Amino acid sequence: MPGAEAVLPALAQAALLVLLGPLVSGVIQKLKARLQCRAGASVAQPYRDLAKLLRKGTVQSDTASAFYRAIPPLVLAAVVCAAAMVPVVVLPAAGGFTLGDAILLVGLLALARFLTALGALDAGGAFGGMGASREMTVAPLVEPVLLLVVFSVATAAGTTDLGLIAARRASDPAVWHSPDLLALAAMLVLLLAETGRIPVDNPDTHLELTMIHEGMLLEQSGPGLAAMALASHTKQLVMMAVVGALFFPIGLAPRPEPLLLVPAALAFLGKTAVLALFVGLVESSYAKLRFFRLPQFLGMGFLCAFLALALRVL
Amino acid sequence: MSSPLATALIDYLGALLLFTMIVILGSSQLYRTIYAVAAQSAFLAAAAAVLAIATRNLDLWVIAGITIVVKAVLLPWLLIGVVRRIGVKREIEPVVPTLLTLAIAAGTVVLSFQLAASLGAVRQTVTGNALPVGVALTLLGVLVMASRKTALAQMVGLFACENGIFFTAIAVSQGMPLIIEIGVLLDVVLGALVMGIFVLRVRSSVDADIADLSRLRA
Amino acid sequence: MIGSQSLLSWTFACYGAGAVACLLLRPARRLSVLAGHLGILAGAVLGAALALRVLLRPSAPVEAELPQLLPFVRMSLRLDPLSAFFLLVICLVGAAAAIYGPAYLASHGGAKGGSVRGTVQTVALALFVASMALLVCAADVFSFLFFWEAMTLASWALVVSETDDGEGTRAGLLYVVMAHAGTALLLVAFLVLAERAQAFDFAALRAAGRCLDDSTRTVLFFLALAGFGGKAGVVPLHVWLPRAHPAAPSHVSALMSGVMLKVAIYGIVRFGFDLLAPAAGPLPPAWGWTVLALGTASAVLGILYALQQHDLKRLLAFSSVENVGIILMGLGLAMRLARTGSALSGLATLALAGALLHAANHAAFKGLLFLGAGSVLSRTHERSMERLGGLARRMPWTAWLFLLGAAAIAALPPLNGFVSEWMTFQALLLGGVRLGGSPGLAAAFAASMLALTGGLAAACFVKAFGVTFLGRPRSAHTEKATESPLSMRLGMGLLAAVCLAVGLFPGGVVRLLDGPVRVLIAGPEPSRALTVRGPLVLSSGSAPIGSSISVTGSAALLLAIFAVGAVVFAWPRAAGRRLAPTWTCGVSPQSRFDYTATAFAKPLRLVFAALYRPRRELVRGEGSTTYFLTGLRYAGEVVDLAETVLYARVKHAVATLSRGVRARSTGRIHGYIGYVLLALLATLLLYGRS
Repeated sequence: MPGAEAVLPALAQAALLVLLGPLVSGVIQKLKARLQCRAGASVAQPYRDLAKLLRKGTVQSDTASAFYRAIPPLVLAAVVCAAAMVPVVVLPAAGGFTLGDAILLVGLLALARFLTALGALDAGGAFGGMGASREMTVAPLVEPVLLLVVFSVATAAGTTDLGLIAARRASDPAVWHSPDLLALAAMLVLLLAETGRIPVDNPDTHLELTMIHEGMLLEQSGPGLAAMALASHTKQLVMMAVVGALFFPIGLAPRPEPLLLVPAALAFLGKTAVLALFVGLVESSYAKLRFFRLPQFLGMGFLCAFLALALRVL
Repeated sequence: MSSPLATALIDYLGALLLFTMIVILGSSQLYRTIYAVAAQSAFLAAAAAVLAIATRNLDLWVIAGITIVVKAVLLPWLLIGVVRRIGVKREIEPVVPTLLTLAIAAGTVVLSFQLAASLGAVRQTVTGNALPVGVALTLLGVLVMASRKTALAQMVGLFACENGIFFTAIAVSQGMPLIIEIGVLLDVVLGALVMGIFVLRVRSSVDADIADLSRLRA
Repeated sequence: MIGSQSLLSWTFACYGAGAVACLLLRPARRLSVLAGHLGILAGAVLGAALALRVLLRPSAPVEAELPQLLPFVRMSLRLDPLSAFFLLVICLVGAAAAIYGPAYLASHGGAKGGSVRGTVQTVALALFVASMALLVCAADVFSFLFFWEAMTLASWALVVSETDDGEGTRAGLLYVVMAHAGTALLLVAFLVLAERAQAFDFAALRAAGRCLDDSTRTVLFFLALAGFGGKAGVVPLHVWLPRAHPAAPSHVSALMSGVMLKVAIYGIVRFGFDLLAPAAGPLPPAWGWTVLALGTASAVLGILYALQQHDLKRLLAFSSVENVGIILMGLGLAMRLARTGSALSGLATLALAGALLHAANHAAFKGLLFLGAGSVLSRTHERSMERLGGLARRMPWTAWLFLLGAAAIAALPPLNGFVSEWMTFQALLLGGVRLGGSPGLAAAFAASMLALTGGLAAACFVKAFGVTFLGRPRSAHTEKATESPLSMRLGMGLLAAVCLAVGLFPGGVVRLLDGPVRVLIAGPEPSRALTVRGPLVLSSGSAPIGSSISVTGSAALLLAIFAVGAVVFAWPRAAGRRLAPTWTCGVSPQSRFDYTATAFAKPLRLVFAALYRPRRELVRGEGSTTYFLTGLRYAGEVVDLAETVLYARVKHAVATLSRGVRARSTGRIHGYIGYVLLALLATLLLYGRS
């Protein structure tokens, strides 16, 4: 097979992201609990939740169409496919076969969101409609910011391929330039928006007036809900890995050799821990924004990304 | 410290200054804007210190020190005291909708880059992005003043504008002469004191904000 | 092997035979409609075969002379690769519409005015498709304008023949007025160029175009842009589109949206890159930036208005405005970058290939969506989404084909919409990098607006599919709906297969774009600039810069992981699966609890209220006190900004002017003779000196 030697590391990295995703969520909720002066559930609780859901039966709405059963595995497949495009510990070989670039990654995440929203509308009822409507309002406001951040970083590297961006920036003596500060600020806003964390959305609530992402999962149950939950954990870790690849591409192994992989894995864990700490602190310090203040919040992120691009280009 | 390193550091500080400016433009809570302008003044003092090390100019150390003490600590403390006394924490609605303000800000920054490019070969102490960023900060400070309703928020805009002027001065010459800088700072302090007292007086007697007083009486 | 010339004549003979057969067989209603559509199908198949032959084997273009109708007029046809590409698009959607048509007409127009309406619509359809096919092959001014008029009149006949209330008539009136205004501008542009060339065929016009001075060239280009742009549905000339496209029968709407707009794009491309191009050097940059700006505005405004519609076909019509905007963005960038030097020429190829591919993709998925909407309309007789719902269980084939079209138009991988948008994104990014400075920043801003429209399109089609097909049925008609007949499903299936094929094997399709791009701009061919590593991988630029994606590879990966996931997560388990009603706070679920289309789009209406200027009316009932209402009436409306800002004022000005002129007409003959004398004197003064 022509691209086998390039696809296998990508698949291995995707599997790593899927396996570690729930752990990162567990760490964040443990941190939030500690900041709120309570003990909190253990860090491995998301794994236990997934196992419990896999054992349970499913209750499906009687208005759902035949497509409903296929939506959770399809959403998970789209997110895992997106995870295969981010360089986590290994840089891709130069001139090798690439599965996709940043735009394909954004497209796959958009596919996951599209299917989740359809699943929410499929069951009927007002909650699913509310969640789908709000999610599809926030999503178009997030995508331009994400694209501008990718462009401002890709302008220096000349490509939108995440692996190549990481490779080029890692070999550049001064990895950081001043526009990167503004782009990082915009990217952190995006991290909160795409992973559905405060101040954009509250992942812990189940009140219909305050939720966006959770609202779309109300009618899912059993293994389907496990697939959707695993998809959202993985998506969170994918976004963190994208932040690492774009802005902190240090410590990535140039070749998949065991001696180079160990420090690379440690570097990845370190970066993820810092980002998890950031997310946990923000979730504990701020309140959720009113829904119609979100455009202003995202507008600030857009302005940061636009100015980053302007500083780089002008 | 070598010149390229100083230039790079001042570039970074310029980006941080722009970030705090965006926070001032986009946030609707008064506390947040005051903290942002305090942070902005601190970054500005750091830039002055960097330039002082690079050019070995003692005046700049003094200016950096005064900026930290006055604009990063004293004036924000004063403003927060006034805010706490009045009890208003959040602006209800700015004069110009926030999204429009952000769009105008984007256009302003692009405009200031064009302006800096068209100025031609200006003899700059610090090359790179510092001059356009300084011009942009000044204009954005005026934009904050024009788009806010409450007098306190307009004061914040004035501080930001002065920060911008000072950063431009850092970029073009080696900061302004000490006398001028102290004079400008005194003006700003005086303006802040007058505004603070005025707002408190007006609020306590009329129970309305200055921005609501818009009709002249014979 | 049949020669290309005879293939060309056979193609149009089939269209003609279809129309004639339909007229002759009028008494046998169903047979006449069937015969007509068979003729159209045969013509479309032959035309597609011809177009593929011209595209795949780049030899000398096919030329033919048409019979001489008027003494001094020589009409000729010339099928070069650019014309062949658009001919392929026309024939593809034409074939799908021809397969779909008979069953649709039978079920839909059956009751009232049956046979006359069916015959008229079939003959007009044959005329419509044939005139569009002849239009893209036209090689001189007369044939171009003749077939342009024929296309407008045939589509007008189709628009007004469908609905019985005044809606079709009013829509047709607006359509024909705006089309003729555009044609007038085109006439001016063509005639000025023909006067310079002293001949009417395109080769002479091309030679004359090379020698024009810059200001004349720019004026002519903007005239042509206005004329073709009105037909293509560019903001602000798009106001006829949302009225005319929904009023026509659905397969005709598919052709109008999918193909007629692309014929107008063909006109812009032919004028901008071919006829008016300077002899050497780049095109004036003002052209490129204007087209890019118009494209961005059309894309954003089109999808914003599409979001607020609750009529399914009107939503699809506005979405066509958006996609034309995306095509124009690619074209504008290509105009800016063409022939500026070796570094940028590869990017111009990329942008142009992306725009042309998006034109073809849009024809495929918009055609599919309109055919699906027609299928729904013919079964439920409801056009408003607020009275549909739950159709996925009653019309499964239509639902899944519509879902494919919706996913394609939302630019989701691995379908064809994503491929062309990816190419446009790459062109904007790499073009921005190379241009640098404020032009680069403008290109990046345009790219962010393209991302915004992509997100909004996804939201719009979640709403369209979700409210129409999912949830509970909201009216009695919808509850009793059944699946549409096989021929309608086959028509939709054809276009769905095209969407899938182009999405999964993009590298192969890029080879078809070689010919058209080579005709328009000199530079590397798309198959060399885009597919560096074979047919399954798309790459932009070449190493060390540029990115590559493998949509096929990621689709294969997606399928593999889905299979694994389906086994792990969706396999039937011992714990079982049971059905239960949706939780609606303890009340028995009704269709009133489902989110309506208006409700779904309301948050976006509030976010973009500055652009929408929504009107809202809240009327309390009679005898209501402050706290106790006897009734409440709410009406909300979003009116197209172009209509309120532009057209209302233009109408007002024209009406004022007309009243003023009417006041001047005295009714006495002396006044009129005086006017004639004045006009004569003025003409002599202006043109008398030579």
